[in-house]
Amino acid sequence: MIGRWGRLPVLVAFTTGAVACSSAAQPAVEAVAGRFAAAVARHDGAAACALLTDDARRDTETFGRSCAAQLAGLPDPGGLQQVEVWSDAAQVRLAGDTVFLLRFPDGWRVSAARCTAEADAPYRCEVQG
Amino acid sequence: MRTFLRDNGLAVFFGLLFLLALGGQAVAGFHAFNDDQVADGAAPASFTGYLTSSDFGTDVAENWQSEYLQFALYILATVHLLQRGSPESKPIGNQGTESDEDQQVGVHADDDSPASARARGRRLWWYSNSLGLTMGLIFLGSWAAQAVAGRATYNAAQLRSYQDPVGLGEYLVSPDFWNRTLQNWQSEFLAILSMAVLSIYLRQRGSPESKPVGAAHSATGLEG
Repeated sequence: MIGRWGRLPVLVAFTTGAVACSSAAQPAVEAVAGRFAAAVARHDGAAACALLTDDARRDTETFGRSCAAQLAGLPDPGGLQQVEVWSDAAQVRLAGDTVFLLRFPDGWRVSAARCTAEADAPYRCEVQG
Repeated sequence: MRTFLRDNGLAVFFGLLFLLALGGQAVAGFHAFNDDQVADGAAPASFTGYLTSSDFGTDVAENWQSEYLQFALYILATVHLLQRGSPESKPIGNQGTESDEDQQVGVHADDDSPASARARGRRLWWYSNSLGLTMGLIFLGSWAAQAVAGRATYNAAQLRSYQDPVGLGEYLVSPDFWNRTLQNWQSEFLAILSMAVLSIYLRQRGSPESKPVGAAHSATGLEG
């Protein structure tokens, strides 16, 4: 039985974990977002596509389009400005773009890019799963 | 062992029920969480990953805070508020903190009273209010945990649906936080109301939560 005082450490662990997990993941998120931005900037569509989630990649390949060709034509998203990581999801604001990422067993991947803020609505993204 | 179980049956029974229910919640919540993950195009979590997630923490904390709020308010309210006919109430005319003699404190404590009951001043005050204060502190701690873990859960969902995360201040006035909080509070308050009123007219033979079967409806503060 958990005594009345035993419940407190359990709750502290949950809340501490909620905060600490996000801070620990930030370097990995920055690395993936940075590689994606660099690939798009040098028009390396294949390298950028390799960093997308499967759903996002499939979405760019509808109607016979090529993912690599789609992403090679995107403008330079610029450098990293702000990173938010919560659990297995992240948002990275770049100088000229906002991208969203999800964490998978093999690492972080870009789930949406070329995202534009909409008032009181989800971002409208040109590349998304 | 038999003596231990006889003397602690209530704690053992509800302790086991708590552990079983918490385990069941973990399993059901794990599957529900992963259904949502797959629908959002995200990776399913491992069971251990789910148990240490803000999602599980929020679901646990939001229930704990309301239970301890219920007990804290119930303990404190029954000091001053009465309900004629209810075994949950003190007898009519007995409202308030009562006399030292009735409460067996100070010179009125007997040989097997807790040592703090024989104390005076601050030590006696703290002990005299220890139950309500403890329940209140656990409520505040659980509610704070709900706020922190709930914000993490909310922000993860925001990001999965391509929306901006929110700060703690913004989360504390958000519909998500107050919906989670109030949906729990309303049920706790309803439970106390039900118990206070139904026990006026209904009986459960042998339970100290009920009046004796033959007690009058107007009899107040009796235990079965």
